[in-house]
Amino acid sequence: MKLPQIIDTDIHPMPKSEDEIKSYIPMPYRRRYTFDSYKYYSQPVQESRLDVKISGNDWIASNPDIVMEEHMDRYNVEYGILLPRAFVSSNPFIDMANNICIGFNDWLMDKWLEKNNKQGRFKGSILVNPQDPIAAAKEIERCANHPHMVQVMVDSGSRAPFGHRQFYPIYEMCEKYDLPFALHPGTDGVGINDSNTLGYPASFIEYHTLLCTGYMSHLVSFITEGVFERFPRLKVVLVEGGVSWIPPVLWRLDAEYKALREEVPWMKKRPFEYFTENVRVTTQPLEVPDNKQHMWTMLEALDAQNTLMFSSDYSHWDFDAPDYIMRSIPKHLIDPVFSETARRLYKLPNKDLNLEGEKSETLQSL
Amino acid sequence: MKPYKVCKVEDLKSGERKLLTIEGRNIGLFNVKGKYTAIKNSCPHQGAPLCEGRVEGMTVVKKNRELEYIRDGEILRCPWHGWEFDLLNGNSIFNPLKCRTKAYKVTIEKDPVETYPVTIENEYIFVHI
Repeated sequence: MKLPQIIDTDIHPMPKSEDEIKSYIPMPYRRRYTFDSYKYYSQPVQESRLDVKISGNDWIASNPDIVMEEHMDRYNVEYGILLPRAFVSSNPFIDMANNICIGFNDWLMDKWLEKNNKQGRFKGSILVNPQDPIAAAKEIERCANHPHMVQVMVDSGSRAPFGHRQFYPIYEMCEKYDLPFALHPGTDGVGINDSNTLGYPASFIEYHTLLCTGYMSHLVSFITEGVFERFPRLKVVLVEGGVSWIPPVLWRLDAEYKALREEVPWMKKRPFEYFTENVRVTTQPLEVPDNKQHMWTMLEALDAQNTLMFSSDYSHWDFDAPDYIMRSIPKHLIDPVFSETARRLYKLPNKDLNLEGEKSETLQSL
Repeated sequence: MKPYKVCKVEDLKSGERKLLTIEGRNIGLFNVKGKYTAIKNSCPHQGAPLCEGRVEGMTVVKKNRELEYIRDGEILRCPWHGWEFDLLNGNSIFNPLKCRTKAYKVTIEKDPVETYPVTIENEYIFVHI
């Protein structure tokens, strides 16, 4: 199967070691930093693909050359949007969290976006700490003019839904610099964050299945709190939160709005209009029911042609291979999902990989 | 089906595996506690190199919430999403009838073209595809 040129909207670059990322975190916070993730909600089988090449004892997906060769070149990925994982929003120590963001952003710019990015195919996300919106806004200002930074990102874990006005300083900066605001699952119900579910999930399967509930909460909050009226140019990217739940939730909201408009009179448009104008979603993990047609109906309801963007989640365990997603969606969505919508959102010029002598192999079945 | 000679019996010890390409087909050959088994090196889910995954046992319910870890060394887990497969037949654990990878016949034979006297050292593992 010949793959089209792809924009992959969710790739996770890692530091090669704790020491590497520490060297970018400002003193004195560097001294106290340890890399940690989810504790009780860690994936119990394997966090990352086991077949990904690593160099020596380096952490997985920490070598830009390997990511370029093994993922980007192999699957004809024209641009990869990099989302580093630092899990800052679970941290009770706000200054520490802010400084971890500074460290990760400096590391990303230095190692991935400058030193090892000759073709400019790696694009970065400015990591911010939503617990401290003022500091987050400053951090956006500091990094926004970097030519390869294309969005702002936070964990979906939070103590408040992102429609709340305390987050406005972040959205002001996103509008000012024309940067989408991306949410990536992480730290939900971890550390200081509220659980996105009723109580705390017991198992990873329960936790991971229900990550979409946090996204429901954020999406409904953005719309009902009027964020997109106040910041009409703001684009929100819901990364890795699932897809098929969106139409039913918006249908519910639409039904409620007809009776309860007076509670939220700043809402001027119907929910789907805000969604198609201001929100983008990513594929992985795309729900693939036994009867594909069920999902295709949801994709149509979602206006997937204009809202859905391909993501692989490389190198995590639940990676979606591009050829698998190609087989899972209707043909007319292939170009919009695999590149066109992301190209518009991130304003990425067309880069012909063939002309640049890149490998553009025809995939053989593995 | 044609037999393909892979290696001497003693070159694949219990718990070991070999990744093979025979006639363009990627196959994993395993010694599962003395039983030889070969399955297609491709996960039916997304085509990942299944036979590069970990070989483990599986957790089952013994009674109520009492758990038991059984069949250690007989279960292969996909290196991507971690789906479990029975190494002895290529069937997945979660849906053995509908989700499975192809299993190939494996035999132990002396090499028919060798004319010198047969001893155990002359026995080879053949995969039939």
